[in-house]
Amino acid sequence: MPTIEHNGSSFEVDEDGFLLNGDDFNADWVDYVKGVEGISEMTDEHQKVIDALQEYYKKNGIAPMVRILSKTTGFPLKRIYELFPSGPGKGACKMAGLPKPTGCV
Amino acid sequence: MGYNPDKPMDGRISDLGPPHYEQFFPPVIKANKGKWLYHEIIQPGVLMHKSETGDEVYSIRVGSPRLVSIEYIREVCDIADKHCDGFLRFTTRNNIEFMVDSKDKVQPLLDTLASYGNSYPVGGTGAGVTNIVHTQGWVHCHTPATDASGVVKAVMDELFDYFTSHKLPAQVRIALACCLNMCGAVHASDIAILGVHRKPPMIDNERITGVCELPLAIASCPLGAVKPAKAEVNGKEIKSVKVNVDRCMFCGNCYTMCPAMPLADPEGDGIAILVGGKVSNSRTAPKFSKLVIPFLPNNTPRWPEVVEAIKKILEAYASDAKKYERVGEWAERIGWEKFFEKCDIPFTEKSIDDYRLAYDTWRTTTQFKYTSHIK
Repeated sequence: MPTIEHNGSSFEVDEDGFLLNGDDFNADWVDYVKGVEGISEMTDEHQKVIDALQEYYKKNGIAPMVRILSKTTGFPLKRIYELFPSGPGKGACKMAGLPKPTGCV
Repeated sequence: MGYNPDKPMDGRISDLGPPHYEQFFPPVIKANKGKWLYHEIIQPGVLMHKSETGDEVYSIRVGSPRLVSIEYIREVCDIADKHCDGFLRFTTRNNIEFMVDSKDKVQPLLDTLASYGNSYPVGGTGAGVTNIVHTQGWVHCHTPATDASGVVKAVMDELFDYFTSHKLPAQVRIALACCLNMCGAVHASDIAILGVHRKPPMIDNERITGVCELPLAIASCPLGAVKPAKAEVNGKEIKSVKVNVDRCMFCGNCYTMCPAMPLADPEGDGIAILVGGKVSNSRTAPKFSKLVIPFLPNNTPRWPEVVEAIKKILEAYASDAKKYERVGEWAERIGWEKFFEKCDIPFTEKSIDDYRLAYDTWRTTTQFKYTSHIK
């Protein structure tokens, strides 16, 4: 599996660029994903989505359903796509260091 | 302007949907849309539709392998350019239809198709075996228990005569799915080929933490066989799952949700055969297909056991069923015990439903026929 070096931190990722170990998550990871996911500037709104995802994952062991993410952050799905062009799964979960979404995706 | 990876949202076009289908109508179809009076099957693979305006359209249906190259599509386009003014269509079973607007144009088109050898077999109409609806198999998917394209090729080679003729009591739909996700039509086909596993998943504790949302893996199990557990990796205790092997029926759902629970196995995996499904409402209601052969091995590259089993079922049906009777209607009329006898399939306990609503599938009557299977 490839390793990514960014700002002096190194991350083990899978072929789609998801963190293989959530503990590696840090500010450098967010900065790296920002570049690959086409996000020009990190805003408080981005941070709010990331925090909501991480909090839910820590508590429940799964990523929240899209409707729960919308409800807790107050952002409709459209806004989440504006923040993360790849969407809540490929974009936000990747940046939050959650495991890659599975199933028939 | 080309795509600029630094500004991915610049000039991005989205949510256009597919182009409107009327753009691609042959002129004769466009002119007669909604005005068709009747149709005839002139010969296997050739249909004629008559319009109230007097127009006729002749459709020539040819088999396709579904998985095709660009070169193949270009060749198909060349044929359409030469004979059909550049128009063609694909059917819901992935056959190709070339349409011409007069009878004189049919034979030249058939001659052109024949000039490619067996690349464009004409058929798939009426009471025959048309194309096999199938899935990705080992070509592209990560959860299959068997291959798709390989098995389909082997079966269609053996049943080719039935593709180019109308000698069955009714149409026989064959479908294949390479795992019991059943992408496609396997659950409602006359004869269905289904990839099955026979071994429980192996849990990769070294990876599970990073790639798995454990509650999803646990919830994915239809039998509650997956339970949370603790495991030790490099002296560290981690959260993991364990599988109650006695409860596992090898569906592979947990692997779909959790990449650290693979269960594919060359000896364990193989093919089950189901029969008797249909989707149309003609005569009888739609039916689900039922399991009749629980396991046949994956014998690459020609799957001889699978091909033989399907041919045997098809021939028993062809010689015994009444006109218009689908495989499922035939089996229900003669009784499933007679179906097993006539198809010479040994009945196993694997065919006895034992999942939740199983009771309704057992026999709650004294009506049955003595067969060679009950001695």
